[in-house]
Amino acid sequence: MFKPLALLAPALIPSWNFFDVIAPSPRLEYALGTSAAAAAGPWRAFRPLPPRVAPLEMLRRLVWNPRWNETLFLVSCAERLINHPTAHSEDEIFRRLAADLARGPDPEAGKPWLSFRLVFLSREGEALVETELFRAAPRLRADLR
Amino acid sequence: MSLETAARLSEILLALALIQQSLEHLRGGRDEQILFLTRIGLCGLVIAGLASPWPLVALAGLSLLILQRFQGPYNGGSDRMGLLALWCLTLSRLMPSLALRELVFGYLAAQLVLSYVISGGVKIVNPDWRSGRALRDVFQFSAYPVAENLRRLAERPRLLRAMSWAVMLFELAFPLAMVSRVSLVVALAVAASFHLANACLFGLNRFFWTWLAVYPAILWLQARLV
Repeated sequence: MFKPLALLAPALIPSWNFFDVIAPSPRLEYALGTSAAAAAGPWRAFRPLPPRVAPLEMLRRLVWNPRWNETLFLVSCAERLINHPTAHSEDEIFRRLAADLARGPDPEAGKPWLSFRLVFLSREGEALVETELFRAAPRLRADLR
Repeated sequence: MSLETAARLSEILLALALIQQSLEHLRGGRDEQILFLTRIGLCGLVIAGLASPWPLVALAGLSLLILQRFQGPYNGGSDRMGLLALWCLTLSRLMPSLALRELVFGYLAAQLVLSYVISGGVKIVNPDWRSGRALRDVFQFSAYPVAENLRRLAERPRLLRAMSWAVMLFELAFPLAMVSRVSLVVALAVAASFHLANACLFGLNRFFWTWLAVYPAILWLQARLV
């Protein structure tokens, strides 16, 4: 459905409530398999954080930061998938996961099925709690190009 | 600073910010490449000052297609500020009288002030922000820190409490900077440093460039009002 004006309205009359509460935070994990049934684990973190980022690299990212911005977009898609589920968010995550896997050397080329799940981290008291809130039905990677 | 100078400066800074974002999208799919190559071309026309205001009008129209493509902003708050600036600059150019042009451009400047004040307000009413717990949560488990070693900042509660109060008080006090040109320039320098820190620690580079693009509007409004 074409609804850009509805999407534009929050930008023209913004709420500016950045970080008013720290909501549960999604982590994207994926699994590959030789069959749809086999793409149910083991689950791997998508783009785990590096141990550190050098100050010069931080400054370079001021002008060139596509990978991180895409990761933040996937965080938005994950949150939308839980709060307002649409096929668009699931499709975006699948498509970008598959593209990322296809970019580098692919030691898992023999595993054509791809699935992902969303694990949300939150704090209860002083403890961090992980909850799986979404698991996608596996898709063929070849169909995601 | 005259309305014309401030609006033109904002247009150029915004066009540069949009070019930076668009280049990042060129590694995406073919549909993204078409949308963002078009945006780069239109931004070039805005910077060159050619065929004004039509490149801005086209950019505003294109922004609707981009919103539709991603079913919302690609990068949350920074894209929303970019959209607000783009639409205000475009509408300001299209207004038939100086008073209406000032009104629309002034709305953009007022929203910049509100972006700080409301952000500070929603934080200070939250006990977790006042205690530093919220910022601890940001470092401990949110998706934003760009490296694992930054998560260790969550183990420094007193520092995070001080940082939380510094951010909240600065955001809430921002309108006071409007009393003079000097105080506003100082406040904008502090605010830009805050966005720079967010870009370094949380990878929010788009916020830095987009907010910077709106600073001419607030400088113009301060001179207009005081």
